[in-house]
Amino acid sequence: MTAEEPGMAQQVMAADDLFPATRKTPLPGGYMGRILRVNLSTENFEVLPLPEEPLLKKLWGGQALALYILLRELAADAQPLGPDAKVVMMTGPLTATGLTPGGTKMCAVFLSPITGYTLGRAATSGFWPMALRAAGYDGLILEGVARRPSYLYIDEERVELRDASPVWGLGTRDTENRLRELVGHRDARVACIGPAGEHVVPAAMLVNDYNHNAAHGLGALFGSKKLKAIVARGTRRPPLHDKKALIDAGRRWRKVLEPTVYTVQQRLKSPGYGGLWGAITRNNWRSTVITDEARGFDQNRVTLRPCFQCQRLCPWDVEIGEGPHKGKGGHFNAGSEWMDTFYNLGLKGNDVLQLTERINDLGIECGHFANAAGLAFEAWEKGLLQADRTQGLVLQWGNHASVERLLEQCARREGWLGNLLAEGVEPLAKALGGDAPQWAVHTKGGSPAQHDWRPRISDMLDNLTGSGGMKSQGGGSYAVSPRDLANTEQWGPLDPALPEGWARSQMLAEQLKQACGLMGCCWFALIDINAEDALNSMMDSLNATTGWNMTLEDARAAGHRSMILQSIFGAQHGWRAEHDWKHVGPRFLEPVPDGKYQGFTIARWLPDIVQEYYRLSGRHELSGRPLPGTLERLGLEEFAAWAEREARP
Amino acid sequence: MNAPLERTPYPVARLLDGQARAILFDAAKCIGCRQCVEACKDWNDLPRGDTGRIGGTTWLTIEPPVMEGQSSVWGRNSCMHCQFPLCAAVCPVEAITKYEEGPVVIDPARCIGCGFCIEACPWQVIGRNRAGGKARKCTLCQDRLAGGVSPFCVSACPAGALEFGLLEEVRAQARQRAAANGATVYGGNEAGGTQVLHVLNRTPAEHGLAAVAAQRFPPHRVGLGAILRMLFGASGGLSGKWRALGNALRKPWRLKYRYWPGRGG
Repeated sequence: MTAEEPGMAQQVMAADDLFPATRKTPLPGGYMGRILRVNLSTENFEVLPLPEEPLLKKLWGGQALALYILLRELAADAQPLGPDAKVVMMTGPLTATGLTPGGTKMCAVFLSPITGYTLGRAATSGFWPMALRAAGYDGLILEGVARRPSYLYIDEERVELRDASPVWGLGTRDTENRLRELVGHRDARVACIGPAGEHVVPAAMLVNDYNHNAAHGLGALFGSKKLKAIVARGTRRPPLHDKKALIDAGRRWRKVLEPTVYTVQQRLKSPGYGGLWGAITRNNWRSTVITDEARGFDQNRVTLRPCFQCQRLCPWDVEIGEGPHKGKGGHFNAGSEWMDTFYNLGLKGNDVLQLTERINDLGIECGHFANAAGLAFEAWEKGLLQADRTQGLVLQWGNHASVERLLEQCARREGWLGNLLAEGVEPLAKALGGDAPQWAVHTKGGSPAQHDWRPRISDMLDNLTGSGGMKSQGGGSYAVSPRDLANTEQWGPLDPALPEGWARSQMLAEQLKQACGLMGCCWFALIDINAEDALNSMMDSLNATTGWNMTLEDARAAGHRSMILQSIFGAQHGWRAEHDWKHVGPRFLEPVPDGKYQGFTIARWLPDIVQEYYRLSGRHELSGRPLPGTLERLGLEEFAAWAEREARP
Repeated sequence: MNAPLERTPYPVARLLDGQARAILFDAAKCIGCRQCVEACKDWNDLPRGDTGRIGGTTWLTIEPPVMEGQSSVWGRNSCMHCQFPLCAAVCPVEAITKYEEGPVVIDPARCIGCGFCIEACPWQVIGRNRAGGKARKCTLCQDRLAGGVSPFCVSACPAGALEFGLLEEVRAQARQRAAANGATVYGGNEAGGTQVLHVLNRTPAEHGLAAVAAQRFPPHRVGLGAILRMLFGASGGLSGKWRALGNALRKPWRLKYRYWPGRGG
């Protein structure tokens, strides 16, 4: 296919063995059938056919399919932010069908610019992934570096790399508004970087639809590629194998979700996710006790603002109703790591909401800032840092003006401290010297999701074994085996204070949440995996969409493949399982300092519990590489070169 | 012979049990998420996009046409399923049927694309298919209704802003909510009564709704251009014109709804 008119991106149907020029197998339902390869250097655009059905049946989509492509394409010596770096973004078969909750997901993979040796995985929901599919694409491969600041406009067959100078330098909110005006489509969806991405802050985010962020440094890759944004729109929808059955399965899924639907009332009083178990991060993880953090929230006007066709109603908008920020607005996602981010700096109430709006506008991953700034504040308290290095800012806990200014300095790498905050907690700790490295919280140099996970064994495992960037591979604290898996798994309730059984629980939850992501759905729509019909309704949705006949065991295998591919990618770039418990900021493994979990720590069971997790999932407990039998069982023999040679060398 | 039915200026039919039903839209509960808009597209297999304005591929909009979260007042804009549908009255080929249960439905096989209904509709909620030029609009999910289930938009609403039920019950519910919240009911009297009732906390205009006279077949205008195009243009083909002519000869009293501009019923 060549250009149909001048000014239109040239599109060529290219092919190799992964992207077949002529399909030998039918395209299953739920897939648009096309991946767009964008070479930013040459401004060449190729429409690649989706891989054959056997591979799709193994990997489904999302992280696993994206990573499979990245493993094939990324040069061995590519630097995370170098010209050879690539980003693969992928939706799944349920993304944008509109008929299930959570059908909103896109996952991007790349070599992490935060850790430098693990998989960067940046997932997002909202509306943008739907718009990419409406434009006719399952996914994107981004490569090269644009000659000038640019944005990519995708409107079905029209693909253009356009001059981004009208929006370069703008925050994510203004960028989104302005680009929508520039492309002339009110319903075009925008994923963009803010100043942090432009200044290649390693933990810069890609922000879409005002309230969603693809983190783990994806924004830094965009900045390094001079790509400000991707604007997508279109009229297409994924074909469905059995629409009636999908509507029925989606209705069941929605019913499962009903008890967990968010309400305005919760937003008016909740201090965030940590409220669930009663611990938040305060003063650089030195206190966990919830006090009046949610003060003033009850004066706000809150509007729930769901993602595309999802009824869980996670995201929300606020108009602050009291105090110095009265009248200001904000757009938030559900995770609430951003709340703990500012609690960690001693802030409370609507200061937190106002600063969250700022950090998302600047496009900095909140945990990255929380832990670097938390360390700086502690260093100030302990006399290790003075005003000569803060450009005169006073870093007293709870000082709103200083935090607001620090955010700007971090996003634009201004001054000694701003630049180090941008670089992250490890370089900052090293530069501060003294005992500062002991006060740091990080996992592999990146940030855990910013909640005080320390009292929760499974969540700690999740964050320690994750690839080091805010969002883990997927897991959670599940003390009882899922009802829908009763014929294969029956255990629990597990004791939250003892290690027994949690590695298995974590592995199972990770498999299932990965599977949910691979089909293009959001884990927040699979929040209670124990609920009756939670897993079955999800599987029936997949099968109705694709025409497959996948079982829950197939789902676990698909999720497992995604986990194994992540390990293989890590192994290729120098990661070993040992990094999970050795390359960790010490404070993250300290006993809980106060509150109802005071003294609790999983450190006493390290590394055993992490090694148990690797053993259970068929990986070597020190190298983290898959065992040959694991690859065989999952049909990933082609990666045999990266397997552990012997089970126990 | 049933005289009153015979004098109804459009085809009338029964879908289920003959009991009138209605949609209730409560503006105070609407969060502007547009899940109803996309659900409409999903049920009817309409293309995504262009969600900001009514057209051949978008049969329902949420007003104002700004992004989610950028307004504090929302309105629902789609076919009102008039009890006395003017669109059906002006159709020269009787392609629009009023079902006793509520739906006002355009039969795409009979539509000749003359556009009379598009011009006559007091709410301007009838679109035109880009290919073929036929009129398209909300059907009140007549196909779902026949199976005893709610319209898809209603079942999709995550905020409880849409409900569906028997007209009398919906009417009572609307009045009750309006009284409790100092709101007004819209759609009860407009155009002689509709089967989509809105509970509004602002003026209709602020919710993106037109001011429509409280009379059956309110004053309207089918432009001379549309009439000439229908008579002499290619739309609808010879068979369409033949059907229009046949209808005009058999039921000449119906012509008043079409060819006397500004004429009320």
